[in-house]
Amino acid sequence: MFEKTDEQLIAKSLQGNKQAWLNLLKRYEKQIYNYGMRMTGKNEDALDLMQEVFISVFRNLSTYRNEGSFKSWMFRIAHFRCIEFYRRKKPMQGLDDAPEVASEEMDAAESIHTNQENKQLINAMQQLPLAQKAVLELKFFGQFTFDEIAEQTGISANTAKSRLYGALEKLKTLMEVDYA
Amino acid sequence: MPKQETHLGGAGSGEPELRNEQLFGLWVEQQLNEQQRHEFEQRCIEDHAFAKQVETFNLFSMHTEHYQSAEVPNWDRDSTFDRPDKVRWWQWQGLPTLSFATSMFAIVMVLTGLQVRTNNGAMTISFSGKQSDQEINKLVNDRLEKFQETQQLALTNYTQTMQQQQMDTSTQLTQYLLGSSRKERREDFAELIKYVNEQRGDDQLFYARQLNKLQQDIYANADLSGTGNINE
Repeated sequence: MFEKTDEQLIAKSLQGNKQAWLNLLKRYEKQIYNYGMRMTGKNEDALDLMQEVFISVFRNLSTYRNEGSFKSWMFRIAHFRCIEFYRRKKPMQGLDDAPEVASEEMDAAESIHTNQENKQLINAMQQLPLAQKAVLELKFFGQFTFDEIAEQTGISANTAKSRLYGALEKLKTLMEVDYA
Repeated sequence: MPKQETHLGGAGSGEPELRNEQLFGLWVEQQLNEQQRHEFEQRCIEDHAFAKQVETFNLFSMHTEHYQSAEVPNWDRDSTFDRPDKVRWWQWQGLPTLSFATSMFAIVMVLTGLQVRTNNGAMTISFSGKQSDQEINKLVNDRLEKFQETQQLALTNYTQTMQQQQMDTSTQLTQYLLGSSRKERREDFAELIKYVNEQRGDDQLFYARQLNKLQQDIYANADLSGTGNINE
């Protein structure tokens, strides 16, 4: 069977072909859902964020110009939707501020149906500021380069490197505790 | 969170020193050249915190490699397909402009008295509805000729019809006259023959009577003479 490329599915979606859009969505929903889980730490929030991301992707589909991969373009949208989501949830908290993790949020990953190692990793990530968490997510799970991360998040490559460095410094302590 | 601003001396090459974040970033993306690699290794040995960062990176990489992506629960995928209805042709933005332009064109056509005529496959567009005198004369002449031809044809037909009718009438009269005279003569002959036949009948009757009388006379004379003899 010949699988249609992203560009073919996008073209058909733009013509109003719902099935093509659903095929494209199913191709990336797992990545976006897991991105949401790691960024929000909650299954419900991950689902809400995923829905917002795909609505936004669909609405902006006509602006996709085949410059770079579709995945990279989609994660750029996901990043901005995630920031909006974060600001809506925690309006008083800055992107570079360390999150004030509530006691129930510490166990947020417990509600996620995944293994213990995943839960520890997600819990550790929830204690990072959103700005650092986003770079960490894109670098380790998105496998993007610093230049791509910079483009997606609207920062410079050097800032992306600094944020990764800072995130690892904090993770170092967290992981020593969690994995001890 | 305080930023890491650690600077270390270079390897004496004269190149500007790389900050820990930059050197670390180059190592992460495997873009270290030989000198930077040497500097990186040197820093790992001399800077415990930097070495710990590298260790944390490797540890976190290992954990991410073992990370098992969760399956997506069932969700309302259709809700993301919120494509607005296609713009119908009557909702086309250029339609009012086109309508206005068409209306203006129609008004100009009326005001200028534009006329479009087709004649023998040729289309003529004229304004103000005026025709040249030459065209009018030609048109009048054409119509007169056509009328004349029509009248001539009608007259010829009428004449021919009259002639034919006259001829038919004469023929019928002649036939009638001939027929009636023949009949009269036939009747006259018939009467003549009848008369002759009657005369002949009368003659025969007369002769018959004469003969009969003669016979009677003869018989009468004979009887008279015979009786006497006997009686004698």
